[in-house]
Amino acid sequence: MLTAFGTLPFIDLTFGDQYRDTGWFGIVITLSLVAFLLYNILRSKKGKDLYIRRIGGLNAIDEAIGRATEMGRPVIMVPGLGGLNAISVQALNVFAHVTRTAAHFSTPIRLCCADAAVYTVAQEIIRDVYQSEGMGERYDQDSVRFISDRQFAFAAGVSGMVMREQAAATFFLGEFFAESLIFAETANAVGAIQVAGSTQNTQTPFFIAACDYVLIGDEYYAASAYLTREPVLVGSLIGQDWAKMLIGSLILVGVIGSTIQMGPFNAKILTEELKDGKLVPTKKPRPMNRKDTFMSHLLVPSLEKMIIDRPKDPNAGGGE
Amino acid sequence: MLPIADLAPSFFNAEHGSPAWWGKAVLTLLLSVVMFVILFNAPARARRPIVISATFLGGVIYVLQWLWPRAIARDPGTLPLNTTESVAFWLEDAIPVLGTISNTVSAFLLGLGVYSLLRIHTTRLVKRQADWMFSLVLLTCMLLMTGFGYADWISKQGPNGAALAVSQDTWTFVNYAKDLLFDGLLQNMDGAMFSIIAFYILSAAYRAFRIRSIEATILLAAALVVMLALMGAVDYEWSKGIASMTGGDKGSFLNNFSLSEIRMWIQNNVQNPSLRAIDFGIGIGALAMALRLWLSLEKGGHTA
Repeated sequence: MLTAFGTLPFIDLTFGDQYRDTGWFGIVITLSLVAFLLYNILRSKKGKDLYIRRIGGLNAIDEAIGRATEMGRPVIMVPGLGGLNAISVQALNVFAHVTRTAAHFSTPIRLCCADAAVYTVAQEIIRDVYQSEGMGERYDQDSVRFISDRQFAFAAGVSGMVMREQAAATFFLGEFFAESLIFAETANAVGAIQVAGSTQNTQTPFFIAACDYVLIGDEYYAASAYLTREPVLVGSLIGQDWAKMLIGSLILVGVIGSTIQMGPFNAKILTEELKDGKLVPTKKPRPMNRKDTFMSHLLVPSLEKMIIDRPKDPNAGGGE
Repeated sequence: MLPIADLAPSFFNAEHGSPAWWGKAVLTLLLSVVMFVILFNAPARARRPIVISATFLGGVIYVLQWLWPRAIARDPGTLPLNTTESVAFWLEDAIPVLGTISNTVSAFLLGLGVYSLLRIHTTRLVKRQADWMFSLVLLTCMLLMTGFGYADWISKQGPNGAALAVSQDTWTFVNYAKDLLFDGLLQNMDGAMFSIIAFYILSAAYRAFRIRSIEATILLAAALVVMLALMGAVDYEWSKGIASMTGGDKGSFLNNFSLSEIRMWIQNNVQNPSLRAIDFGIGIGALAMALRLWLSLEKGGHTA
């Protein structure tokens, strides 16, 4: 692979650790996924009407806020425990939509943050929402608050708020860990309608058991496209579907290829194996296993241990 | 003074106390002030392009570091062999610097969070609003923990900044107070909150595991098998029953019906593939989200 590309005018791939052996495959696949996303974003901007299936949890947002308005109780939103990353930004996008609806009905909101960076961004987003709706005077500075960055102190604080304020609707979207069930059960105890979604697979079952509506897997990331129907977001969603089809095809090709290569009932016997980038004889003949197949090697490069003689830096020894 | 790790000099650092070190620090400070003044006085219509450019530049370093040929087997204190490796070295050295900048900004943001807490709870306390007693408890605990925590840390700092190994025989009042507040109270309260989950699991399971539909019945059956298989006594008795039927023959087909085998089959052939499929979707969703944020294409529920 490296000798096939040779040396480009300004980039010498032979020195690329991540391109050695079959390492280029992961990069090519990732760039393909990126190409799918960008192509579909461009395609959507041409005004094509693209279909998204119904997502129950997101349809329930208006119902939840309406219930809170009728009962005169607040809506509580929790963007999880994670820092400022794609997950919490997506949560804040959904909460901005919730807040826009709540602002129209003058429903009180509470947004509880466990991370100071998320708190800062959330405050700006919520204030912008109120101002863009022409309801700047309804914005309560204390509606967005930082509780604690310790997991169970945050859980205790939010649970206490849910119990004291008797929330009518709760939205738990973001990165959750052990405290997810504490939130869900506490909100259930006060009779709140709950919409939850987490990228942590370990917490999704708890939400499913305790919450009314749950966004599973990439429904979480589809939420902003579903709610706003912005062409860029819908196009990105279609690109994600193309990416999933590519990965599904790779899995199918891999399964069929590996099954053929290993032979029926693991019948093939190996006398040589690939180790540290080199073919070496096995200690004794052994049945071929899935790690010896072409697909496994394609996805897991076997790197030769290399030592490269580089000149020493005469100034090395201390810096800050 | 905090202990400082030795790093090989690079574009982003210099030997401590050297003229190059002072020059870089002062230059960075001046550049920051100039950037702040420019941003503050920028016209409103220029703010969006500035934000988009800053976001793109901040992300492009990580993308380049991933795409650019990374130096193979780089040892600290060595020089690059050619132009490609020079760029690779520069990018690799830039990543921890960006991480440090991010951590520094996060530390300042924590101050905003603390300010928010103090404002809300002090207002509630002063105006004797509803539940003001909880605010009093919070503020008292916050002040005590901050005060004793900092005093305890100061008491353990040596003259050169390294932490001293302080044995309990030489503890003073602040050390005991911090130990009581942190290890005695906070850690145990964390444990108590964690243990509440056990009871919440019971109530959630009571509501969830009901025969309402075919899917719920399958969920109930699978959960029952997995839970029983994880109970040592049940698994032992079941295995004894299987062993009595097979006559101790380890190659018998009936061994596949032991509780642990059924549990492993459910986990390996049903649960794990499903979780991996969900993980694929989440991973692609995260990639798409990150790409939209980097290229400033993200237009969520709020105004752009």
